[in-house]
Amino acid sequence: MNKLDFYLFHLMPYPFIPPGEEIESTWVTLPNSHYDPKVGHRLYNEYLEQLVAGERFGYDGLCVNEHHQNAYGTMPSPDVMAAYLTAKTERIPIGIIGNALPLHRNPVRVAEEIAMLDVISGGRIISGFVRGTGMEYHSYASNPSYSRERFWEAHDLIVKAWTQPGPFDWEGKHFRLSYVNPWPRPLQQPHPPIWLPGTGSFETIEKAAQLRYPFMMVFAPQWFTKASYDMYRRSAEKHGYEASPKQLAAAIPTYVAETEEQAHREAKPHIMWLFQNGLKIPPYHWFPPGYMSKSSFANMLGAKVKHNMKDHWELTYEELLEERYIIVGCAETVIERLSELTDELGAGIVLGAGGHIGSMPHWLVMKNIQLMAEQVIPQFRDADGKPGWARHEPLGAATVTEHAATVAAPARRPVARLDGDGLVETQLAYIPEVGANGRQAEAAPGRRTPGGPS
Amino acid sequence: MAEPATVPRPRSYYTQPERLDVRGVDVAYRRKGSGEPALYLHGAGFTRMWLPFHEALSQSVDLVCPEHPGYGETAMPEWLDSFEDLVIHYAELLDTLGLDRVHLIGYSLGGWIAAELATFYPERLRTLTLITPAGLRVEGKPIANLFAMTPEQHWTTVFNDLTNLPSVLPDYESLDEIVHLYGEATTIARIAWERRYNLALERRLGRVLCPALVVAAENDRLIPNAHAERYAELLPHARLETIPETGHALVVEQPERVATAIADFV
Repeated sequence: MNKLDFYLFHLMPYPFIPPGEEIESTWVTLPNSHYDPKVGHRLYNEYLEQLVAGERFGYDGLCVNEHHQNAYGTMPSPDVMAAYLTAKTERIPIGIIGNALPLHRNPVRVAEEIAMLDVISGGRIISGFVRGTGMEYHSYASNPSYSRERFWEAHDLIVKAWTQPGPFDWEGKHFRLSYVNPWPRPLQQPHPPIWLPGTGSFETIEKAAQLRYPFMMVFAPQWFTKASYDMYRRSAEKHGYEASPKQLAAAIPTYVAETEEQAHREAKPHIMWLFQNGLKIPPYHWFPPGYMSKSSFANMLGAKVKHNMKDHWELTYEELLEERYIIVGCAETVIERLSELTDELGAGIVLGAGGHIGSMPHWLVMKNIQLMAEQVIPQFRDADGKPGWARHEPLGAATVTEHAATVAAPARRPVARLDGDGLVETQLAYIPEVGANGRQAEAAPGRRTPGGPS
Repeated sequence: MAEPATVPRPRSYYTQPERLDVRGVDVAYRRKGSGEPALYLHGAGFTRMWLPFHEALSQSVDLVCPEHPGYGETAMPEWLDSFEDLVIHYAELLDTLGLDRVHLIGYSLGGWIAAELATFYPERLRTLTLITPAGLRVEGKPIANLFAMTPEQHWTTVFNDLTNLPSVLPDYESLDEIVHLYGEATTIARIAWERRYNLALERRLGRVLCPALVVAAENDRLIPNAHAERYAELLPHARLETIPETGHALVVEQPERVATAIADFV
């Protein structure tokens, strides 16, 4: 059996909306009067509970993402969600997949927030970068015709902010900053892993492969995902290396239950909510002008006509299963399908296998998470069943004793001028015999020297 | 894969354009008529066509109809970013054609470009004609969102009288045509996605001292009539003329009447 990493992925939809056929779009224009914050309070907390549970159930990571002004995914700030998960978990990696770079005025904000989370969490952050969907460009009044340019300029700025000493100035086409100098810097070196979840424009795939960033397709039929991943592998070869399965993630909503019939009975209505309603999006919201290059747009239209591709909300449940948008069944079926799919795609990571789908109630989600963890995930693991994060030490000391034993003292100590005593070391100043002569504190006993004990 | 090598042709009214090199921009344009020169700046549609409106207008002036960079058969240059880029481009186009002073006519998006051009180069205008122009903010009367419509919604918003619509309706069966229209929409997105009006025009239009005509539709459901009215207030020597029984597509709905209104003015 091929080895797979399982990431629990949430969209956090707000499913209490009118049927897709009655609304123009689940995005951009669906009146937010449909959103009841009291219902939202319960939903958010249940959704977060589901993600947090992923650690104890042995998933390899937890994923959140960014969408705006819609009922499909109510996480306008994924970093806020990641902060919550960081506090509520101990060891498991947290994937923000991702921050929608072109939508935001100052990319340094993203560099700062990711670094904050990385430092707090002990280096557990995966930093996905996305352009955001076409819908976001309507909702955020960001110019779609500059989307790709802004994305890559923001990416370059953030990576430089993480890896080059500040302050430096940035004189780009879309961003200009006199002082790029973010505090904190990330804990993971040279920087947190970057993933590029995409909808598969050729330009994105090519660049992702070149930079060796893990790539993934979302809500696409298997043949289309396969074509994209083949392109990634070819681009990797062109850049002189062989792409590893850990660079390709399959995002596939998966539901497992005790029997085949039970699985379909339980999952079907919620999956159909997701596709019929969550993805009810008119083309002018999907593809604002310039969001795709003319050639990408032409290729997409051509493929759509050639393969007679339906829009998401028109797909039947049977088509979703046949075209491998989703996997549903008893454990044996799910194992077989997941194995086939990831083999075919050459993918070593799966997202959304187990967890919340569409309009699922909490108890059903927890059941899916549990059965996946008990009956499916171990099949794709080493004999001990451990998740990846349990195999290595976390960054950053988990305890003060560990910190004291292993982390070098800071290069400088905090000092201040107190009561005419001259410069004193503030952390020792309350001790008269030391504080009166702060400069001697350099040699004070009981402080760890770099390198720790022998 | 590369862009289609050739630009698809509309089903009606296509004529082969002439080409003009405007400092590196290979401009497609059409020119007909005699008399005083007039530069016509088209709107966000009806490209690649010599329409009955153009023909009627060319009876009274030497009509020059270029296609904007990123429209029709003029390719979109990488550097195009703003209305100022287009203003400079059109000043250079007039230089290239050896035209010192012209009657400037702009329709819809082209009306906005014409208004900008007029504020930067007022001395080059004999007259200014704006037909249902964009470019201003009129509080409480926003321009309808062209970027969030199905083709059907688009055309039924733009046309009040649908009689002449079939003759100019794009061929939505043609993928090449759809991709071409996506490209044209990208051009307007590039310059006007965030900035759907220019507040500076309110002050700058006072510089345009030539005679001006603002042509309004009877009931424009894309750019509310209040915009044409506001232009007529802001331009020092402007007259407002409304063409009865028309919507935003008045140049296609009532080509003769619009052409006559302009001919009587210039």
